[in-house]
Amino acid sequence: MVGPGRQERSWIRGAQAGSVSDLEALFREHWPRAHRAAFLVVQDGAAAEDIAQEAFVAAMRNLDRFDRRRPFGPWLHRIVVNRAIDWARARTLRRESSSVEGTDEFDTGDLGTFSQGIAAGLASLNAEHRAVIVLRYLLEYTPGEIAELLDLPRGTVNSRLRRGLDRLEAILDREQA
Amino acid sequence: MNGDGDLRRALQRIQAPDELDAQRRAWSLARAAFEAREPLSWERRHRGGLLAAVAAAVLLAAAISPPGRALVGSVRDAVTDEKVTTQPALTSLPASGRLLVNSKTGPWIVQADGSKRPLGPWWQGAWSPNAEFVVVTRQREVAALDPEGNTRWSIGRSGIVRGASWSSEVNPRDTRIAYLNGRALRVVGGNGREDKELRRLVGISAPAWRPGAFELAFSTVDGRIELVDAESARTVWRTVPGEIPKQLVWSEDGERLLALGDQSLRVLAANGRKLFSLRLPVGPSGVVFVRASHRFVMVRYSPATGRSDLVLLQAEVDPGEARFLYSAPGEFGSLAMSPNGNWLLVGWVNADQWLFLRLTAAKVQAVSNISQQFGVETAGKPLANTFPETVSWCCPASP
Repeated sequence: MVGPGRQERSWIRGAQAGSVSDLEALFREHWPRAHRAAFLVVQDGAAAEDIAQEAFVAAMRNLDRFDRRRPFGPWLHRIVVNRAIDWARARTLRRESSSVEGTDEFDTGDLGTFSQGIAAGLASLNAEHRAVIVLRYLLEYTPGEIAELLDLPRGTVNSRLRRGLDRLEAILDREQA
Repeated sequence: MNGDGDLRRALQRIQAPDELDAQRRAWSLARAAFEAREPLSWERRHRGGLLAAVAAAVLLAAAISPPGRALVGSVRDAVTDEKVTTQPALTSLPASGRLLVNSKTGPWIVQADGSKRPLGPWWQGAWSPNAEFVVVTRQREVAALDPEGNTRWSIGRSGIVRGASWSSEVNPRDTRIAYLNGRALRVVGGNGREDKELRRLVGISAPAWRPGAFELAFSTVDGRIELVDAESARTVWRTVPGEIPKQLVWSEDGERLLALGDQSLRVLAANGRKLFSLRLPVGPSGVVFVRASHRFVMVRYSPATGRSDLVLLQAEVDPGEARFLYSAPGEFGSLAMSPNGNWLLVGWVNADQWLFLRLTAAKVQAVSNISQQFGVETAGKPLANTFPETVSWCCPASP
């Protein structure tokens, strides 16, 4: 994985020394994508907020122990995405045992047709497939990095990516037809 | 699809709901966690080893923003876990008043000195105004007892009786009791006379008297909240359908009503207008108003992390920024506010503890072994099956 930029290292160093403004800069840099990633995986607004929040709280509590030579993003995204997958699996189990639950609608009001199609396509995938697509295309990790983050063989990541993309493509084709 | 770039751009355009507010809430929380952390010494940091962080109950200090300040008023910025003292038994209450505890063995009264007595073989109880009596229910019977457990009157009914609630004293010595008889809503005078049916079929939540009036809020079978004048049986107002609430709670001045369901909280004004609603994660939840205010404490459980938070909100059109008071692993159960408004009792189910959180200073008192103290043997049973269901702390001084 690519090392952290100079700016990020500086924020981490400052936050470790107790600077709230550096902490805030670090938070503002990473929160939006972490929150959105959680939402795209769990497809539930309240749960996504909880997951991203808890990941940040865990990160902030342990910031003094963080090795600032490493990038902050992967550390955070590992927590967020794994928790999101766990949550989505638990929800699936609950759904199987009861009729509870609904998912948040994606906010598609201002989106183009293509994004709306992607949103609908993602909703039809399972959490594991959504997670690799989000890591690859929203958070922009390589398959090797995704394998490391999710503790999976690289082949599994590639096959999930392939299957997920095929499914998305099929849904988009159907909508355009 | 025309390539990776399209997909990337499409994903980046999909927004989570409420992104900006979520960021604001998360920043408050992250900053509080950062400030509450235990910084490593230089030597330990450079030793390179990862040491386990120990934080059983994390205190989440608070939003420092102006809206946050306005919201909390006299409530302190945070209740921290730094000053938790734990006792093995309840030896006294931290504030005056008495508790009515609905345990798995029935209702109990706890005096300020910690002494306890069961009220007998009843299922549930609720205080009368000023704690002079307790209305109790079991199977097909509703009764009024004095605090010694002596029966003042009793009525038999055809259905299973539950959800009894005693009104405030609208005229001197003039009160009413509402209860559910099966799915019918009934009202009887505080003296046990003039029992009558108000509605034949209602929702499952216990009715709630509006303070200072003989007006009763209840839920309908389709999840509406209705306010009925108990004297004339006339509907004062009725909301649109929604989730059937499990708890209806009025503010002390009778100007705000909370309708808490499994997945949502509706906050209503006294005229039935919805001020706002919140979607909740599936899991245990509860609400209690801060004394003499429209602020309320809510339990918010996170299925993702298995933790429960106590957050403070405001029952106004603008709920303000959620203010985090306390957090712990597992489930919180009953909530009760002390009569003087300084202490919040929180049932921490997984720890079999009551936590007394002092809201005007950073202090927590914990009392262990709660189930056993109310006559329930815990060996081999899940704590959720042994822990007291509800607690009410009586009585606030009259305005």
